[in-house]
Amino acid sequence: MKLYLVQHADAVSKDNHPLRPLSPKGLKDATRMATFLGGAEIQVDQIVHSGKLRAEETANALSEGVWRGQAPEVFDGIYPNDATDHLFNTALTAGGDLMVVGHMPFMGRMAARCLTGSEDGLTVAFEPGAVLCLERRDETWTLDWFVKPSMLAED
Amino acid sequence: MRLYLVRHGKAEFGPEEADRKLSARGHADVEAMARHLAAQGLHVERVLHSTLTRARQTAEILRTALAPRVHLEELAGIEPWGDVHDFAQAVEGWDQDTLVCGHEPFMGQAAALLMVGDPHARLVEVKTGTVMALERPHAGSHAGPNWQLRWMLTPRMVRGPKEGEDA
Repeated sequence: MKLYLVQHADAVSKDNHPLRPLSPKGLKDATRMATFLGGAEIQVDQIVHSGKLRAEETANALSEGVWRGQAPEVFDGIYPNDATDHLFNTALTAGGDLMVVGHMPFMGRMAARCLTGSEDGLTVAFEPGAVLCLERRDETWTLDWFVKPSMLAED
Repeated sequence: MRLYLVRHGKAEFGPEEADRKLSARGHADVEAMARHLAAQGLHVERVLHSTLTRARQTAEILRTALAPRVHLEELAGIEPWGDVHDFAQAVEGWDQDTLVCGHEPFMGQAAALLMVGDPHARLVEVKTGTVMALERPHAGSHAGPNWQLRWMLTPRMVRGPKEGEDA
């Protein structure tokens, strides 16, 4: 089973828009990431997001590249400062590949918990729009790859 | 300082212990990775490789794309049988952005040692042609002494899957 942990792409500030939608850069980054992942033939079985607009918009953009199902759904308990238990336990029993679009610092703590057993056991340098792929095999999570929008400059 | 840990590209079929060369597929994978990284403007100041041919060939392809002015440097002790603690200790003395081409399980263990302090943490199995970018935290950082993962790319990501290959 694969778990894709995604930090929402670049969003406008609260002063510009109280709901903080993606900025033009964020939308472009998420679209480019979707194209890149689609080109690598990454396909997921489910995409979920935190329910915040910037996460939902990122999930929608990514779903264009990696998913052919219904609209991404809200998943509880993945706000920036939530405990990682709900997602961690869901991932342990998930029957398919799951992509989760949320926030920092949650995603960093979740990645570290999966890989080391401790939420501060490892630092993954997330940035807006970054996607981390973990794989569960033999009862252990391992790191598959980690891609950021800044690594996808156009040729 | 940034450290790029690379596992050599896919090698020709042959005895496990033999000093094998890159296969055609291995060449193509590493060249695709080199092109992708060059397009991102990635630069390194040093390019090191193990004493084995497949690692040297991998390093040469990446050097040509990313650091055409530097010379390859051979580093003994990072072969599959090398000591990752010795390597990690050497790395702590480096201050230039450095790319190192080696082998599994050595590279995965080195990554685990640098990032979580335990070479046997089973953090990662590095596939052939994969590049991991690590960064040493600044002195006094409250993130602690461990290196951070900046990014990690596999050949499959940059050139797409080949027929019959597992996801």
